Amino acid sequence: MKITLNDIHKSFGETAVLMGVTLEVRGGEVLALVGENGAGKSTLTRVISGAYRPDSGKIVIDGEPVTLKQPQDAMAHGIRVIYQEFLQNIFPHLSVSENMFTLDEQGTFGRLFVGKKRMAKKATELMARIGLHADPHALAETLSIGELQMLEIAKSMAHDTKLLILDEPTAALDEQESERLFAQIEAMRASGIAIIYISHRLEEVFRISDRIIVLRNGTVALEGPAATLTEREVVTAMVGKELDDFYPKESHGTEEVVLEMTSLSSGTHFQEVTLSVKAGEVLGIGGVMGCGKGSVLRSLFGLLPVTAGSISVKGKAVSIGSPQAAMNAGIAYITPDRQAEGLLLQQSVAHNISLASLDEMSPTGVIKLHQERTKTRSIMDALHVKAASPEVAVGTLSGGNQQKVLFGRWVMTSPRILLMEEPTRGVDIGAKAEIYRIINQQAALGVAIILVSSDLPELVAMSDRVAVMRHGHVVAELTGDDLTQNRVLEYALESAA
Amino acid sequence: MKSTLLKTARELRAVWMLLIVSLILFIATPLFLTGPNLLNVLLATSVTALLAAGQTFVIIIGEIDLSVGAVLGISGAVTAITLQTQPLLIGLAVGLGVGALAGLINGVLVTFLRMPSFIATLGSTSVLAGLTLFITQGNPIRVANEGFLAIGQSRPLDVPMPVWIVLAVVVIFGVLLARTRFGRYVYATGDNAEASRLSGIKVYQVKILAFMISGILASIAGFILTARLGTAQPTAGTGLELAAIAAVIIGGTSLAGGRGALVGTFIGAILLGVIDNGLNLLNVSPFLQGVVKGFVILFAVFLDRNSDLIRGLWKMLSSLRPKRPVRPNKPELASRH
Repeated sequence: MKITLNDIHKSFGETAVLMGVTLEVRGGEVLALVGENGAGKSTLTRVISGAYRPDSGKIVIDGEPVTLKQPQDAMAHGIRVIYQEFLQNIFPHLSVSENMFTLDEQGTFGRLFVGKKRMAKKATELMARIGLHADPHALAETLSIGELQMLEIAKSMAHDTKLLILDEPTAALDEQESERLFAQIEAMRASGIAIIYISHRLEEVFRISDRIIVLRNGTVALEGPAATLTEREVVTAMVGKELDDFYPKESHGTEEVVLEMTSLSSGTHFQEVTLSVKAGEVLGIGGVMGCGKGSVLRSLFGLLPVTAGSISVKGKAVSIGSPQAAMNAGIAYITPDRQAEGLLLQQSVAHNISLASLDEMSPTGVIKLHQERTKTRSIMDALHVKAASPEVAVGTLSGGNQQKVLFGRWVMTSPRILLMEEPTRGVDIGAKAEIYRIINQQAALGVAIILVSSDLPELVAMSDRVAVMRHGHVVAELTGDDLTQNRVLEYALESAA
Repeated sequence: MKSTLLKTARELRAVWMLLIVSLILFIATPLFLTGPNLLNVLLATSVTALLAAGQTFVIIIGEIDLSVGAVLGISGAVTAITLQTQPLLIGLAVGLGVGALAGLINGVLVTFLRMPSFIATLGSTSVLAGLTLFITQGNPIRVANEGFLAIGQSRPLDVPMPVWIVLAVVVIFGVLLARTRFGRYVYATGDNAEASRLSGIKVYQVKILAFMISGILASIAGFILTARLGTAQPTAGTGLELAAIAAVIIGGTSLAGGRGALVGTFIGAILLGVIDNGLNLLNVSPFLQGVVKGFVILFAVFLDRNSDLIRGLWKMLSSLRPKRPVRPNKPELASRH
């Protein structure tokens, strides 16, 4: 099997995600696909698997141009994807063999009643082929995550798979499970299956792949055999050259330390984190998904328990066991998922903004509506929140304006420490610039800011200092000339020395 | 502009329905639109209105309280028993205490013990109804306390006392919901509990207080019912929770939480009362009255869940009407010339 993508373009609204990607993969080959968040890897995967239709460009399988209108079309060609979120495809309360043959359109195991014995036998056979020895009658929820992933692979073997795409397959696996997966990939390659392997972990990429393609901003930035490329070349290609002037960075850092974490740990989330932030300074925290960078913020806001170490605000030790305690210490937290954890979508813009500041507006318990109106108005003006009126429901605003409303809620509390996680996720470029302006505004007021972001250019450009985390530990603190995207990536990725 | 109109129309839906039903009754019978009859409607509605007012808080936080009828029953019975030996104020305090305690327990079951409110309050309904039967031994308990009976039977300014109580409750709790910090937290919790928690709101506390308000208003409803009858019935309140929930929904409060108002609930309760009253005046068989009320409830919920469909229908209807600038015939005629 040989699949060729030719000049694939794909946009979502105004945002162009794939801008002319050409690649080829053949049976018996492992192609690694690497790139930063937002480089277009997931979109490309979904184009190959038929989940998205490209705006333009050709997909050719074994010399025949094909149109993949839906995932079933790709499956008919033997294309299978195991997504990073594969757990969503598992039915925890069904047995292993039932999970494997959920879709039995031919009625192989009976049309009305299911032949469980035959099904279990076939499941055992398929699992044995990839070295998984699980009881076919056991419920899926009793399997480990590694075993479930193997189950997903076995499931794809039940059909005649010719191209298997693995999206960050080792993200949830321990070392032993990863080793078994690598052995399996080796075996599949030997049997002539084509494999596209997507990973952040460069060490793995170099170890198992034959060829590497680096995506950046929707185009192929680098392509070559794994044997001749170096890690440094790959990292440089991932980062590329960024336009500096998009980020209106201002420096307002002072010498006054506002927040100090000393050997802070929270269970398995992160350990021994020692960091401090000064008034007016923006401390960035970078690292790959699952490195613990978001958990640090959650424990500073009282959402994760502190199991060791201490936090002090302006030199005074504080214990933060709840969001209320954090707010009393002058801490505000802008959550990464504005819809699920941030906004009250049915409530008005004004009510969303004033929510965290109602105490001061209602000394007797009754809200002083006039004061609320004046204050929310001035916040909306200062943050450029565009809404027909303060009375409209937040759910009707664009993503960027929703995000500004969320900023407004916390700016209104006049925090001393502003924690933010993925503050520009899913907002357009104009709103991004406005959010950076708000960050500058707050820094100029002397607020100590921690910026956690997976958007590497943003992290490097908007921070005065960046701490890089890996596996729950801070592995580097970069400032000045050291603070480059390459250095952050090198420390963030598994293989960096 | 248009969306504001639609929103207002939605919020005032109960008012429209009430006006239409009233108009029909006004035409159908001269007995309907008379002072004594209207006061009669309000009096008959008072118990449901109080239960529904408390229920409104619980539904806005995204939960449900099936136990209000049973709370009414037990606090009526406990108050009646207390009044046999104790003065009025102690009797009232004990009754209110029972309601508050029942609400507290419901709230704790739903929050700290993580039980779905439907099941938790279904369970407490059974427990409370059973306790009421046990403490009354299945017999009605007579109340002789004059002061207490006045709650149900006196008529200051020629308006029945229960109507005054309902009006006071609607005003006080309406302000609590619409104008106070606590009220704002009620809406916030019902809209997105996690976001509320991350904004520093003590979500559990808000939920428990909402259940306690429901319990306290149910016990006031228990006072009224007991005082009107002069006895506490062992099965008082049975089934009233459904009428209360219906009034809340007809009043425009969303079962999904986060949206609603107390005034709407009040009008919803009156609408149910007016329908009862009208069916009586029109001599409709009492066996059919439930059928009619059922249809009204279904219609109200239909409107609530299908606003898109209705908007679409409305658009279709308004596009059928010829509009001023576009007369479809004219250009055709012109082109023929």
